[in-house]
This record gives sequence, C-alpha cells and structure tokens, in this order.
Amino acid sequence: MRQRIRTVTSTSVALLVMGSFLLAGCSSSPDEEQLTQLSDLKAEVDALGKEVSASAAKKAELDKQIADLTAKLQKAGVDMNTIKQRLAK
Amino acid sequence: MRTVLTVVVILAALLAGQVAVAQEEMTKEQWQQEMSKLTSQQESLKAQLKTLQDEITAREGELSKLTGDYDRAMSEMYALVGASPEQAAAYRSEIEALKSKADELSRLSDADLVARTGEVEELAAKTNAMWENKLSLVPEFWDGLTAVNEQVKSLQNVLASQVKTYTVGTWSKDRDCLWNIAKKPTIYDNAWLWPKIWQGNRDQITDPDVIEPGQKLRIPQGNMLTDEEKSAARKYYSKKVTAAPVE
Repeated sequence: MRQRIRTVTSTSVALLVMGSFLLAGCSSSPDEEQLTQLSDLKAEVDALGKEVSASAAKKAELDKQIADLTAKLQKAGVDMNTIKQRLAK
Repeated sequence: MRTVLTVVVILAALLAGQVAVAQEEMTKEQWQQEMSKLTSQQESLKAQLKTLQDEITAREGELSKLTGDYDRAMSEMYALVGASPEQAAAYRSEIEALKSKADELSRLSDADLVARTGEVEELAAKTNAMWENKLSLVPEFWDGLTAVNEQVKSLQNVLASQVKTYTVGTWSKDRDCLWNIAKKPTIYDNAWLWPKIWQGNRDQITDPDVIEPGQKLRIPQGNMLTDEEKSAARKYYSKKVTAAPVE
C-alpha cells in the first residue's frame, strides 16, 4: 500500500513539474522590444489622428473664409453698379 | 508523506498561477494582429493627412487670390467716388460715431431729450453734411446714413411732440415780447417765466429784448424756472440796473 502511495505521489510530482516546464516553454508572449514597438505605434496613430482632425478643421475654416470672401466680392460688383447708377442721376 | 503532499500542493499552485498569467498576457499572435491593425490605420491616416495638406495648400492659394481681387475691387469702387480706401475707412468711423450718438440720444427719456435739443440739431446737421460727401453713394455708407437719418427724424418727432412753438407777431398788432408771450394763457399764463422762452431759444435770441416778427420760438415745458434760467434772468436784470441812466 505504502509502495503504491509513494508511486502515485512521485508520478504526480513528476507530472506537475513536467507540466510546469511544458507551459513555460510553450507560452509565446511578445518580448519587451516588441511591446515597446506596439506602444510606439499606438502613440503614433493617436498623434496622426489628432493631426488629421486639426487639418480637417483648418480646411473647413478656409472653406468658410473663401465662401465669405466670394460673397463679398460678388456684392462689391453689385455695389459698383449701384454707385455708377447713382452717379449718373 | 506529509512533506510529499505539501510539495505537490505548492507545485500545483505554481502551475495554476502560471496558467493564469499566460492567459492574461498577450500572445505573439495577438501582438501580430494588433501591429497589423495599427499599421493599416497609420497608413490610412498618413494618406488622409497628405490629401488634407494638399487641399489646405490649394485653398490658401485661392484665399490669397480672392483677397487680392477683393482689395482691388474695393479700391476701384472707392475710386468711382474719388476716394481712397483710407478716406473710406475714416468716413465709416464718422458714420459709426453718428450712429453711436443717435443711439445714446434715443435711450434718453423725453424730458432729458428736450434738455439736449441742441445735440439732436447738431446730429441732424452733421448727418446732412455727411450726405454731401460722394462716399455716401457707396451702398454701405448710404445704408448707414439712412439708418442714422431715420433715428434723427424719430428724435426730432419726439422733440416736436414735447415742445410747443409760438410764432412771434408784430409789436403794433400783437404786442409780442418775451414777457407778454409768457403771460399768454396758452403759453405759461405767467409773465415771470419769460426767461424760460429765452433760454429755450438761445440759438436765435441773443438779446431777450429783441425778437423779430415771424420768429418761431420753442416753448419749453414746465411752470417753474430752472436754476440756469433763474441765473440768466438775474444777470439780465443786473445788467439792466447797471445800464439804467442815473437821474
């Protein structure tokens, strides 16, 4: 009986030790350098996203300025005709 | 036996911990997927940014051209009435000052406005003078002056509704002098209020003993002399006493 218990125990210990080594050996986590690379890439993507938003806002502002100025330019043409008519009176 | 069991339990616990850590950590496969996703995003954002920067450059050029065109158009417009952009800017400031004055007077109560009749008249005169400038033909200024004119007219209407007028008749027929006018029941019914008419018409009466037939006098409201009117009356009487011949 004692012999049997000893055998079972030894086998269990051996299995546990082997399992532990197997798990450690089979795990394929990225190394430190790769994690830094990922983190840098994330930061770069975030910064690019912000830059794209800022540029889109700048473009929208320029579009508004162009529309305003175009309208003012058209009004200037109309105003010039009005002045000419008033001068002719 | 007990020792062996303890070792087994510790090893089992270590193995369980290792399994848990391995489950929380990113695998190389996940890392690869994440890297691919981020690289794709990076490329897409870079392309968007390039397009946006090109569009911004194009718009900046367009805006610059439009600004030049607009400045030239404005100079050309002011030249039609013989003015420079600087003169137009000065004229614009003058209109703004008139507008501001008209706004200030419009906020006054009717009684306060009557007390500042002179300022309304001055504003009307300045506005009329502004119309003499050819720059008034420019729609922007035309509209501005028209708005001030309307305010001035409104102020004048208020004054007209507040101030009665009296047209001076002849001495031979009507016996009109400031004393007699103030005495009339339709005016103040009180001859001693004559300085009120004098002070209310300082622009056309320099000597209260001299008024001309046909003069249209404003009759200020009130049944008492103000301090200013009393002071003017005192000066008048004191001058009279000094000028009276000594017998």
